Amino acid sequence: MTFRRIYILWGLTAIFLLGLLLYPILPGVNLQPYWVLVGMTALFYAILASSWALLAGYTGQFSFAHMAFMGLGTYTAGILIRDTGIAPWMGTVAGVLMTGIVGLLIGYLCLRLRSTYLALFTIAFAEIFRLVVKAEVKITGGPNGLELPPYQRPEALERLLKAIFPYWDANPYVPAYYYMALLFFLSLLFMFFLVRSRFGLFFRAVREDEEAAAALGVHVVNTRVLAFVVSSMIAGFAGIVFHHFIGLIVPDQMQIVRMSLVIAMAVIGGSQNLIGAAIGAIFIHFALELLQEIRMPLAVLENLLFLENWGFSVDLQAGVLRTNAWRMVAFGILLMVTLRFAQNGLISPILDWLARKEAAEEVAKRFRAQREMDRVDDVEAVEETTTASTVTEGD
Amino acid sequence: MEWLIAEACGSFPYLLRLILEGLLIGVIYSLMALGLTLIFSVLNIVSFSHGEFYMIGGYVVYTVLHHFKQVPGLVAVFLAAVVTFLIGAVFERLFLQPMAKGQVDRPNEYAILVTFGLAFVLQFVMLGLMGPFPKKVPRFFSFPEIDLGFLRTTRTTLFLGKIPLPGSRIFAAIIALIALGAMLYFMYRTWTGWALQAVSQDRNAAAVVGINPLNMNTLAFALGGMLAGLAGAVLVSVFSWVPWVGVPASAKSFVIIVLGGMGSIPGSLVGGLILGVVESLGTGCWPNPATAQAYRDVFGLVIFALVLLVKPTGLFGRKL
Repeated sequence: MTFRRIYILWGLTAIFLLGLLLYPILPGVNLQPYWVLVGMTALFYAILASSWALLAGYTGQFSFAHMAFMGLGTYTAGILIRDTGIAPWMGTVAGVLMTGIVGLLIGYLCLRLRSTYLALFTIAFAEIFRLVVKAEVKITGGPNGLELPPYQRPEALERLLKAIFPYWDANPYVPAYYYMALLFFLSLLFMFFLVRSRFGLFFRAVREDEEAAAALGVHVVNTRVLAFVVSSMIAGFAGIVFHHFIGLIVPDQMQIVRMSLVIAMAVIGGSQNLIGAAIGAIFIHFALELLQEIRMPLAVLENLLFLENWGFSVDLQAGVLRTNAWRMVAFGILLMVTLRFAQNGLISPILDWLARKEAAEEVAKRFRAQREMDRVDDVEAVEETTTASTVTEGD
Repeated sequence: MEWLIAEACGSFPYLLRLILEGLLIGVIYSLMALGLTLIFSVLNIVSFSHGEFYMIGGYVVYTVLHHFKQVPGLVAVFLAAVVTFLIGAVFERLFLQPMAKGQVDRPNEYAILVTFGLAFVLQFVMLGLMGPFPKKVPRFFSFPEIDLGFLRTTRTTLFLGKIPLPGSRIFAAIIALIALGAMLYFMYRTWTGWALQAVSQDRNAAAVVGINPLNMNTLAFALGGMLAGLAGAVLVSVFSWVPWVGVPASAKSFVIIVLGGMGSIPGSLVGGLILGVVESLGTGCWPNPATAQAYRDVFGLVIFALVLLVKPTGLFGRKL
């Protein structure tokens, strides 16, 4: 048996899934609430980044309102639950439907035109929606945010999960982490099947050549709107679930800055590959957390005091350098450089190399075998066969 | 008519004041949108970092006036123009020129994302340098005290009849008007301006008669950024400044260029004035004064949606 690259991919997938499952008790995390929360947030961003990639990487349309849709769904759910007293799961359904409806309206408004218009409209929509939410204190709670009640979780399921994960009650973020991981897994699975279905082909066809796709009977506008609505609804769903576990949403969660971060995650991971984008998001979220405070020896730190004037903060007592805004600058520059020199992102080419190259080699091998068989069958045309085989050898 | 005005918005002088204030701010919107139009017509891209040039223009004025108190305000405004021009030129050379040369796949998508990436970087660079707290520049111009009966000024305010107009806004609008005039003169009366127009009409034909389209790209992007920087530099004494101040500003310029028609210079001028007046009237007539300021930007979004619904080419647009 020969060694195949696909085995590396299987191995990595297994390690990734195992890591996802055991993350709360990994050494270094050790059930500390803060790090469990970081893991949960990373998964939240992973859902957002991969659903953004579904729209951007497959249809070539850019929505800057992804975070705004996330907020729209969450606020809809929160306000309905607060004012009408419906159960949280019904609020969730209503919130997701709301993002779908607004997504449909904006989609039909902008997607008839060239792709710049969606980007222009959504950036304006996102910023203005945030400002309105911030101003309407009586309805939304304003800058102080809106509280969301926790979900009522079925008891039988809870007991079962407690049996599987003995540390389930260690802190309130552990169950939240696992529900988020489940949502991450399911939404990725859903999007994966969507892009593998005929709709995925429609998405790509419309992106590559609008006229050609239309000529072959693809309804260009409807296809784009479908992608936009699905991607927005996933964002809304993830937002509602995440904020139910956090218990609070503030308008600043919808800042355009966070949107930029989601885009940076998707592009650096690889926006044409859902899994690449998701891994990029997890990687970047952890990198940002780790870069927040850089631990270094006091002797070095004392020489870095001048950085205080440039937006860093030097904490001599804790022995750390806080990078504040500059870690974001680093990722912004990484985003621009990735766009310029590696348009497929940094992670998805590796995944492609592990998976697709192998397939190409497999096809080439079968092709050669087929040529071989043709040669055996076709005993009469000796001369042609010889030329053909030399050509094959030359390849 | 009188009844209608009173019902919606109080007295007639109040309405007139709102319109005048709207025109004053509208001139500055026009200046900013003109920059975006220039970029769009020559490079055929929309710059999503336009608001960040506006933000940097303001911060340059703040920094100069904060550290050198004797420097006159106009010098600081000029420096802001120079800095934003240079940032625009360097960025265009590094990231947009490869696109014009065809070295980048899917140029339309690349242009949206890379300008957005620049916005991201600039916001956080300024956050690192200036900190998150709002900065305010004191008024750097005071009127001579005149009394002509109808037209009367105090040090901070100009009275037109009984209508008071804030002096810092008038000063900002005057500088913006001068910049607009200079820019239009440059575009329509100088060789380089004609070259820019030629490139926006037909790149290949322009290249045939000896214009280097790549240099014109750089010039257009840098000038566009400079106009946004100027708008920021004159408005920094009106509003307080944070690193995110450019986001609503760029949203406004997007509304204007879509309203006026993408790539149309008269469109961006008229669109800016219309947006200014609509915002001012809408905010002044909003029933609940507590939330009125937050809805200032909503009117722009409504205009945006209406234009897309009714006439996506805008007022003066030629193509989509």
